[in-house]
Amino acid sequence: MNLTVAVWATTGAVFSIGLAIVVVRRQLLAMLLGLELMLAAVNVSLVHHAELYRDEQALAVVVLVIAVAAAEAVVGLSLILRLRRAGVAADTAQLRELRG
Amino acid sequence: MGNMPPEMIVWTAVIVGVLAVAFAGVMLLHRSLYVCSVCLLAVLLQTGVLFLLCGSPLVAFLHIMIYAGAVMVLVVVAVMAAGSDGGRFSDFSFPRPLAWLGLLVALMELAFALSKGPLLTTAVPSGLEPANLGAVLFKQYALATEAVTLLMFLAALAVVPDKEAA
Repeated sequence: MNLTVAVWATTGAVFSIGLAIVVVRRQLLAMLLGLELMLAAVNVSLVHHAELYRDEQALAVVVLVIAVAAAEAVVGLSLILRLRRAGVAADTAQLRELRG
Repeated sequence: MGNMPPEMIVWTAVIVGVLAVAFAGVMLLHRSLYVCSVCLLAVLLQTGVLFLLCGSPLVAFLHIMIYAGAVMVLVVVAVMAAGSDGGRFSDFSFPRPLAWLGLLVALMELAFALSKGPLLTTAVPSGLEPANLGAVLFKQYALATEAVTLLMFLAALAVVPDKEAA
C-alpha cells in the first residue's frame, strides 16, 4: 500500500458519505455539514495531486476552495438562522417554494 | 521525502483515513446536529493531518485555522441558535467507545506531531514553496483571488441584520 491508495480511498469514502448526507438528510444544517465534508474530501485529493506532480496551481485552487467554502458556510448558516427566525422549520420537506 | 520513513507516513495516513471515514459515518447515521458538528470537527482535523502527511503544512495550517476554527464555531453557534424541535440536548447521545477512541487518537496525534513535527515539515517537496504558491495566487490567479475576496466580503455582509429583522 502506498500513500496514493490511502488518500484516494479516504477521499472517495468521505466524499460518498458527504453526498449521502446531502441526499438522505432533510435538515438544512445537516445538508450543509455534508457539503463541507465533500469539499474537505476534494481538498485532500487536490493537495495529494499537488504533491505528486509538483503542481502549485492545485494548491492555489485548494486555498481558493477553502475561502469559498468558508463564505458558503457563512451565507448558508445565516440563511438557516433567518428561516428559523421567520418561524419556518429548516427542513427541506417544508421548503418547497422560493418566496421573498 | 525528508527523514521520516515512507512506511510510517503511509500507515499514519491509513489510520487517519479510517478515523475520518468512521466519524463521517457517524455523521450520516446520527440524528443529533450536535453530534454531527463534533464529528465534522473530527473529520476536518483528520483531513488537516492528511494535508500535513501529503507535504503541505501551509494548507494544513490554513485548513485547521479556517475550518476547524472559524467555520466550526459558526456551525455550533448556528445549531445552538436554531435549536431542535425537541429538547436541545435531549438527543445528545454520542457513542462512548467512539468518543474515547477519538480522544485517544487525538492525543496520540498531538504527541506524534510534537515529537515528529520537524520531520513532517521537512517532507515538503522542494518544488512547492509557499512563495511559489503566492506567485500563482497573485499573478496567474489574481482575478480569481480578487473574486474570492469580494465573495468573502459579501458573505460577511450576510450576517449583518437588516432593519426589518432587527
